[in-house]
Amino acid sequence: MDENTLKKLKEKCREMLKEDVEVIIVYTRKESEPKEILTVIESPDEIEKITLSPLSANNPAKHLIHELKNRSGKIGVVAKGCDSRAIKQLINEGKIDRERVHIIGISCPGIIDYRKLITKFKPSEVKKVTLSGDTVLVQTVNDEQRIPLDKLIYENCLYCTHPTPQEYDSLLGEVREGRRDFSDIEELEKMSQEERWNYWIGELEKCIRCFACRNACPFCYCTECLVDPTDLAISPMSPAEEKASYPRFLGKTVNAQDNLFYHLLRVIHHAGRCVGCGECERACPMDIPLRKLERKLEKEVIEVFGYIPDGDVPFLARLDILPEKETTSGR
Amino acid sequence: MDNKIKAMIYDGNFLRDVAEKLLEKGYRVIAPIKSGNYFIFREIDNPERISLNFINTKKSAKEFLFPQNEGLIRYREWIEEILLDSKKRAIIGIRPCDAKAITLLDEVFLKGFKDPYYEARRKNTIIIGYACNETGDYCFCSSLGLSPHETEGMDILVTNLGDRNYLEVITDKGDEIIGLFDVKEVTDEDGKRKHELERKAVESTTRKIVSDMKDVLVNNFNSDYWRKVAFNCIGCGTCTFLCPTCFCFDMLDEGEKEGIRYRAWDSCQFPLYTLESSSHNPRREKWQRLRNRFYDKFLYTVESKGKVFCVGCGRCISDCPAGVDITEVMNGLLKEVSE
Repeated sequence: MDENTLKKLKEKCREMLKEDVEVIIVYTRKESEPKEILTVIESPDEIEKITLSPLSANNPAKHLIHELKNRSGKIGVVAKGCDSRAIKQLINEGKIDRERVHIIGISCPGIIDYRKLITKFKPSEVKKVTLSGDTVLVQTVNDEQRIPLDKLIYENCLYCTHPTPQEYDSLLGEVREGRRDFSDIEELEKMSQEERWNYWIGELEKCIRCFACRNACPFCYCTECLVDPTDLAISPMSPAEEKASYPRFLGKTVNAQDNLFYHLLRVIHHAGRCVGCGECERACPMDIPLRKLERKLEKEVIEVFGYIPDGDVPFLARLDILPEKETTSGR
Repeated sequence: MDNKIKAMIYDGNFLRDVAEKLLEKGYRVIAPIKSGNYFIFREIDNPERISLNFINTKKSAKEFLFPQNEGLIRYREWIEEILLDSKKRAIIGIRPCDAKAITLLDEVFLKGFKDPYYEARRKNTIIIGYACNETGDYCFCSSLGLSPHETEGMDILVTNLGDRNYLEVITDKGDEIIGLFDVKEVTDEDGKRKHELERKAVESTTRKIVSDMKDVLVNNFNSDYWRKVAFNCIGCGTCTFLCPTCFCFDMLDEGEKEGIRYRAWDSCQFPLYTLESSSHNPRREKWQRLRNRFYDKFLYTVESKGKVFCVGCGRCISDCPAGVDITEVMNGLLKEVSE
């Protein structure tokens, strides 16, 4: 994600727009602050807007689904390790047509936690953020500061298993090794049941049920969600009593218990699917450690089914074809 | 300057001391405390918990007048009304933008039909504000005609002069409270310092918004611009739930044969919000819902209540997961139109 990779990315995009790609989903800098946002570019005139830095945070997979629906041509997309895993998983689930996508894979050293960055700098004074090796260079209106990436990194990236994309059409940046590390989850597991309950109730009390976690998640693509079904039960032909009794698993009661219900319900749908991009936790305005829920589930799935969401067969389909596993002791 | 406002000096930390005094008098005291990486309003029982070292709180204090969930009636074979919450309370340490926002909630809940639930709380609430000597990077109150030292919506405004507090007493309720304390007269020097702090706070506000956009909005409802700005939006309710002026709610029943009818915050960003029982949804698409947020704040409320429903607190910018920025959107519209 250094300057050189950005240069190559721009060249690649120019080339692709000349050839068969209709639009490309890239990162650009916001006007009033260094935060980067996803943008669709359609013409070579827009290439100079493209950015690529440790602030290129958001996962483009959901935007890709949306663009594929609204366009007919081929779509290019810039994807980091986790992003490309999400795209791959969505291909497996039949949500993305592989033929219509050109994935520009970016080998990723980890992303900056924007909330950490803005406790150190006034966002409006930051001119540019780049990476050189393991050092983040922050150019402000006054000076340039060098900060080790470790000090600013998004916690989720510390547990990244696939920094380099596995699924791509072209790859930029040097290949990096990931590792599987559940040390943070093991810490939680050491707590007593009561401690753990209190910990989660304390965290989930903060939830305002804005559904940012759900809407940011590439795997929460259902058009009907159990917490606010919009079409499920209503049609012009629905009789009144049916309308009155349309399924509502959860109302709008916001309290620790109901929030817990919502989050567990959401997370359980990601068993064997979550790719660990961390969009849920990044989106949460209330700083709830949502990744810990997903990671606990991931650990369980690996322990019980030996499954890591990367193969060509979706998890649920795999459950049918897995040879019967011997019950491990203690389960 | 409004000559009804009385100025005085208090030697010490007024917000802390007033919290102590009001707790003694049996008030519920709501004040900012530190919680994890941010500050939030909580009901406190110990004035030492108050933390004043913040730009603004994560959520505004609106939930203490208009809670996210609020029981309206209980029902079984008969209907039982829930008692109005009219306990005396004080919201302490609220920023000027959020206090101004309460005056906008008043427009909604108290003008014309008076909402009894809101009214009971509002009538019994004292608001003691805390002037901003420093503004944040997401703040833009000054371009909405407000000041970081604005007194609107407050009973008392406290400005920290460093070694002492400069108090502005706006209402009779405020006067009563001040009667409980020893205060001094303001010297010329204090007045100058206060004025200087306000000027500095205004000058340090870099973010600006063009809010007088009625005609532009009327003429550009169908512009492609709205699809463009909605590209990033993920359609969550963060902006509306953190907004100090958003007031929409839904009413629901919990329990079939017996239970509670309650109201809960709702958001125009959710598709269910506008879903009609015919199954028609006038704002089916995300971009239509996002567009509504800007039209509601800068056009619809201007038409119906004569007021812009944005106070420049910047929460919808700093906490948007997708980088949607109300100042960039509004300023960008003007640019788009003039091109």
